Amino acid sequence: MLEDVLKSIVEMEEEEAVNKAKEYLEGGGDAQKLLEVCRDAMGKIGERFEKGEYFLSELILGGEIFKEIMEFTLPKIKGGSEKKLGKIVLGTVKEDVHNIGKDIFKVFAEASGFEVIDIGIDTPEEKFVEAVKEHKPDIVGMSCLITAGVTSMKKTVDKLKEAGLRDGIKIIIGGGRVDESVKEYAGADAWADDAAKGVRLCKQLLGMEV
Amino acid sequence: MVSNAQELAEKRYARIMAAINLEEPDRVPLRGFGGDIIPAYSGITQHEFCYDYEKAIKAIEKFLTDFQFDWASSGITGLDGRVFSVAFSEYPDIAANTTFITGPMHDVLGDKYYRYPGREISEDASPQFIGGTFMEADEYDQLIEDPVKFVAETVLPRACRNLETPRQAMATMVRLGVEFARYGAAGREIGAITAKLGYPSIPMGGAYAPLDIIGDFLRGIENVLLDIRRYPDKVKKAAEALVEPIVKYALSYKQRGLKWVMIPLHLNEYLSPKLYKEFYWPTLKEVILRLADEGMKAQVFFEGRHDAHLETILELPKGWGIAYFEKTDVVKAKKVLEGHTCVMGGIPMSLIVGGTPEKIEEYVKNLLEQVKPGGGFILSANIGTAPRETPTENITALIEAVEKYG
Repeated sequence: MLEDVLKSIVEMEEEEAVNKAKEYLEGGGDAQKLLEVCRDAMGKIGERFEKGEYFLSELILGGEIFKEIMEFTLPKIKGGSEKKLGKIVLGTVKEDVHNIGKDIFKVFAEASGFEVIDIGIDTPEEKFVEAVKEHKPDIVGMSCLITAGVTSMKKTVDKLKEAGLRDGIKIIIGGGRVDESVKEYAGADAWADDAAKGVRLCKQLLGMEV
Repeated sequence: MVSNAQELAEKRYARIMAAINLEEPDRVPLRGFGGDIIPAYSGITQHEFCYDYEKAIKAIEKFLTDFQFDWASSGITGLDGRVFSVAFSEYPDIAANTTFITGPMHDVLGDKYYRYPGREISEDASPQFIGGTFMEADEYDQLIEDPVKFVAETVLPRACRNLETPRQAMATMVRLGVEFARYGAAGREIGAITAKLGYPSIPMGGAYAPLDIIGDFLRGIENVLLDIRRYPDKVKKAAEALVEPIVKYALSYKQRGLKWVMIPLHLNEYLSPKLYKEFYWPTLKEVILRLADEGMKAQVFFEGRHDAHLETILELPKGWGIAYFEKTDVVKAKKVLEGHTCVMGGIPMSLIVGGTPEKIEEYVKNLLEQVKPGGGFILSANIGTAPRETPTENITALIEAVEKYG
């Protein structure tokens, strides 16, 4: 049964996946196990993306199926005792109001076991600083779509340095307009222009084997 | 001065046209860029640049005087208004005005598609397109049945606060007409300035990929991607239904004497080759072919990575237009499209923002060694907007490097 769920998520069979997951739980299945299977499925979708077999539309649909199943699965899991891989503060940088890239990354990061604190779009540097002070994340993720976002990223990193917070965190930047030179210019630790690579790099930044 | 300017413009025009016609020009032409750097260079805010046309024209003149590309790409700021072009497609005299929606037009419409500096976002932020969902999944049949009626009468009243009722719409349309006239006059003034500065005039109208109309303006990007899986036949039929109004409005530019349309693509990068070939490319191809039949060429901006779909471009007739790439490797693209399509792009904007003059010279030298032979190539930043902190010495370095190695 769980194998069917896994397969239908990876193969993008939305209805099939949701129905099978429901059936599994209704038949007395373990919600925690279902969650783990869904996470595996998201990992496999990410792998296919990185191999060039899947594209953004599959990441988005995969994320949608995951969210649909989680809606009725998460309430059945007791407590929040599960150990997270790490904590990520995530936002689209100042003066950029786009959210799609950030949201796709968020679903995949959560699916792979990260706790994500989403601080929204058009996020001023100070808000990143405050969020780091408050939530003490392992990683700060900054997203941008427009070219102006590139300089906002640099300014945000500079503000984190000024506040004496830079050394305690890893910074990953993402979005359509970032590349190696933007990473160097902004002073980040890693860059990704897709969610699958982004999540893989987050694990690497925290010293996990992937 | 005037004759010098004219000579310069003719020389640049010949250079660009040689590349477009797949020949080797006297040197590789360099397409210019604009964006936040233009107001920043003149010390005005993005808000002033978008709303005060007089200040904007002065800022454009200063930028184009100091940074001489072969092909100027600077005008009054506007964001893609193609949904309005569809709505007005039965009225060619009106439709041609809606290629771009400027800040003042945005105010008049009260639309939810755009974010303008000093309005929804800070005075110094870049104007941005955000789109949204203004059509439900169960309304595809209406869109298929009569796309113009559905867009004009159902979608736009939802997407624009000032078009909600017929009486609001009456006043809004009169005001919009006034803005069209102001925008047109500003455009003519900029045209006179660029001519005086020795830039060739290659005016471009607009067209759009039918599926992008649905993704950008009707259903939203994420929804249309889910719709492709959930209601594939309806999505396909809706894209087909939009071909006719898009071709119709694009031909309104022909009536004004224009020979070019610009088509920026958005969903191309999102789709696998299978989905691209089934849902996106057939209708986009039809738009380009129909316009080609009418003697119009297209400049298509293949946003993001187009590597997986590169070969489909060869299905178009040789010399159909310009393929402008963002993150696709232009060296590879030029090899694939050699002798068939003029390729444009090549300079990552991140290099111009974060690089040094030395790095830029080195990069341009290496790139041109690979793409210059055989012609058919226009050098350009991989995206048309430079952030306000772009070091001006890097722009100069780019122009000088092309003069040296082009």
